[in-house]
Amino acid sequence: MNEKVIWDLRIEQVIEKLKKGKRIDGRKLDEYRPLEIKAAFSQNADGSAWVKLGATEVVCGVKFGLGEPYPDSPDEGALSVNAELLPIASPVFEVGPPNEDATELARVVDRGIREAKAIDFKKLCIEEGEKVWIVFIDIYAINDDGNLFDASSIAALTALLNARIPKLEDGEIVKKEYSGKLKLGKLPLLTTFAKISNFILLDPCLAEEKSKEGRFSVATTEDKKITAMQKGEVGAFKLKELENCIDLAFEKSAAVRKTIKESIGED
Amino acid sequence: MLVSKAKRPDGRKADELREIKIEAGVLNRADGSCYLEWGQNKVVVAVYGPREALPKHIQNPNKALVNYIYRMATFSVPERKNPKPGRREIEISKVCGEALESAIFVERFPNTTIDIFVEILDSNAGTRVAALTAAAVALADAGIPMRDLVSAVSVGRANGEIIVDLTKEEEDAEDAVDIPMAIMPNTQEFVLLQMDGIMSKEEWSKAIAMGQKACQQIYKLQREALRKRYLAAEKE
Amino acid sequence: MAKRIVIPGEVLTSERKRLGQHVFIRDGKIVADCLGIFIPEAPVASVIPLKGRYVPKENDVIVGIVVEEKFAGYVVDINSFYYSFVLKEGIRQNLKRGAIISAKVANVNEVNGVELTNVRILPKGGEIISVVPVKVPRIIGKNASMLKVLKEGSGSQMIVGKNGWIWVRGGNIPLLEKAIRKIEEEAHLSNLTNKIANMFKEKR
Repeated sequence: MNEKVIWDLRIEQVIEKLKKGKRIDGRKLDEYRPLEIKAAFSQNADGSAWVKLGATEVVCGVKFGLGEPYPDSPDEGALSVNAELLPIASPVFEVGPPNEDATELARVVDRGIREAKAIDFKKLCIEEGEKVWIVFIDIYAINDDGNLFDASSIAALTALLNARIPKLEDGEIVKKEYSGKLKLGKLPLLTTFAKISNFILLDPCLAEEKSKEGRFSVATTEDKKITAMQKGEVGAFKLKELENCIDLAFEKSAAVRKTIKESIGED
Repeated sequence: MLVSKAKRPDGRKADELREIKIEAGVLNRADGSCYLEWGQNKVVVAVYGPREALPKHIQNPNKALVNYIYRMATFSVPERKNPKPGRREIEISKVCGEALESAIFVERFPNTTIDIFVEILDSNAGTRVAALTAAAVALADAGIPMRDLVSAVSVGRANGEIIVDLTKEEEDAEDAVDIPMAIMPNTQEFVLLQMDGIMSKEEWSKAIAMGQKACQQIYKLQREALRKRYLAAEKE
Repeated sequence: MAKRIVIPGEVLTSERKRLGQHVFIRDGKIVADCLGIFIPEAPVASVIPLKGRYVPKENDVIVGIVVEEKFAGYVVDINSFYYSFVLKEGIRQNLKRGAIISAKVANVNEVNGVELTNVRILPKGGEIISVVPVKVPRIIGKNASMLKVLKEGSGSQMIVGKNGWIWVRGGNIPLLEKAIRKIEEEAHLSNLTNKIANMFKEKR
């Protein structure tokens, strides 16, 4: 019942083990938990994915909507990323509009995709200055066992990769008919690390997340470009540590990308 | 009872349910949980509690509160839904929570709350009854004492036929009537009953009888899901 | 004896039997009120719950965590529906939030409020492994045989609370936790005590 106190006890164990070079769940410092992806699980969504990263579960749905372009980019579509930390996912999550944790999560995932220019927004223009496609990415946490960031990023990319653009007729969306697939220029993925008493750990599980003195996430693409970064929580990283994280992110995200492609039947 | 032989748009018979799959105990952070697929409908339910009701002023010294929250994911419907809960979700949450409370021994847990969270991930009509069916399994999975399980189905009329388990296409028929219902399967008592549309008492009775029969089928699936989860315990 | 998994509302028997726990009468029949195990041949009709929080019983020894200090005593989480309270009287040390204690349930009132006695403060550096309260007898075993195997195999100190919280300290805790999870999952296998003993031998 008292989550906080129980976790306090766990934290001691996490640190104790790390000092002996071990993680609480027996993984190597740079090892992801097992990843399982179910692409296109939802029929009403235009694209979707159900991701299990260890016991952490996240679902994501993509929907296309019609809207007006921003005045400063009249010939470009738009992207909207929203994340909900459902009370289903944890005894400490509450009902209500997204809190600061959910907002940060959504914005970090958003930046990784947006800045990589994964989506060609010019192709989402229907009528310049009048009508464009808005890509809604909605992420829902189903079970929080740590590292919702990477699970969400994997879910969002997979959902985009199987997303289909609805068919338009006389300016209206024709339900259940599609004009084609959304094509992605880049495949950005977040890779998240936790720092715990001078150890850097990839893909922190919940006990490790509770122990952390800093979180660092980096979004990278398949051609080894960095497209977003986020340092979160109280704590500080040394430059050398950050550099190591980036190198690891390039390497580890490549394996994740392969799993994603397999899930949508490519490769 | 005469059941029409006419086939429905998806090829089902009048009294035939869509395929239903139920899995109990799917989430490791909740006290009880359930994942259910009912045709295209996909539902996850988590139960927490009984746990201390907070803030303290909401506590009832005579019983546990039952807090049922039904929500639909934005992408679970053809047109993207606003993430903010609508009036429909709020009403469904209220009546379904009351339906479940009828089956729970709430008086044994004063000052506590039993929280039931439902998320609809994909939908095609009948989500509230799918959710209620899943929630009853999740409550049992949480070890919460109950008089009976709750089994739910929607019945009604489309294209002149009395049918069970309407799809969206059937709900959109000119003469459509939708009756979501939930019963305690062992006592046959109704804990949820709603209706949209116009029909005669005779038609209504016929629909309800079909619903009662369907609930027994659903009850069997719920029971199997719970037994399957704990089968090892039988051999202890 | 044969066992049966039953669900809430399920009819257990139409026979007249003595009523045990987690049953009630409906239309003259004995019915289960929760998910659990029913033994048809047993003279008393009762259901052993498979899930659920700890329901406090008098004289149970439990393990608890201090969550708050008040003027007169401490608020203690005992893995039940509510926290319990212990008076500072008779406790020599000053306890901090997060301190782990073992104690005996002195009495339970009508709203499941719990009074604790025989408070023992457990040494620092321990942690808690949580199991479903109904599995506690399996962890202890006949004449504490399983507990002995666990303690010797892991080299850890252990105190098993009836409330499903097991305090452990020192030794090979990851291996101990693995063994406890195995007991939880495979409690139906015969000869489990030997199997757990062998597991420790292999891993050492």
